[in-house]
Amino acid sequence: MSPERHLRQRTSIVLHMVMAFVVMILLAQLWFFTVVLETMETHGKSDTVELAAILCSLMGCGVVWILIRYYMRMEKSQ
Amino acid sequence: MKWGDDTYITRREFTKFLGLTSVGFLLGTCLAAIRRWTKQSQLKQQEEFLIGKLEDIPVGGYKLFRYPTENDPCILLRLTREKLVAYNQHCTHLACPVYFRPETAQLVCPCHEGFFSAEDGRVLAGPPKRPLARLTIEVKSGRVWVKPWEDRANES
Repeated sequence: MSPERHLRQRTSIVLHMVMAFVVMILLAQLWFFTVVLETMETHGKSDTVELAAILCSLMGCGVVWILIRYYMRMEKSQ
Repeated sequence: MKWGDDTYITRREFTKFLGLTSVGFLLGTCLAAIRRWTKQSQLKQQEEFLIGKLEDIPVGGYKLFRYPTENDPCILLRLTREKLVAYNQHCTHLACPVYFRPETAQLVCPCHEGFFSAEDGRVLAGPPKRPLARLTIEVKSGRVWVKPWEDRANES
């Protein structure tokens, strides 16, 4: 196998891992959303849960966009 | 151009779609939280609410009312001469209104056969997972009142 092809294969694996990570974060964000909806429906009194869910979702969103930029850069260099 | 080429989605477009989905989840989470905070602040401003006179509700009978907003139907039950309980009428499964069945002392949701205890609102059978939302009531000088949200929050 030529070194170029070997590198391309490795890059492809990294890209797939990045995509899997992004999907995992999206699922986590969906869960945070359901947590807040649940609190809304049950008239829960704790603001801490909501604030934590929003904060985690915000962090997840940031990480997703960082990973997307990384993904695009990697794809371009490929 | 072929139809396949026209509808072809590049990886780049797909990743952007994922990014926007992430933003959508974040916005949804924020909106749900804002909505709850708004509703909670409205509830905190509520005054005591008069349901009616105690003598107008027979033992084993009930009275419907709306509290704290017009969109919140509630039911007051007089289980015994002394014991009164009130619940939000929305079933905790899919929000169908429950009705009182005095012969079995149960609140029944006709949509999916959910059964709740009239004593404390707990789930007896059916798909609901959570008990009915209970209101705190008080009898003063022969009149039945619902206590405001803040008082209930402190009690539980």
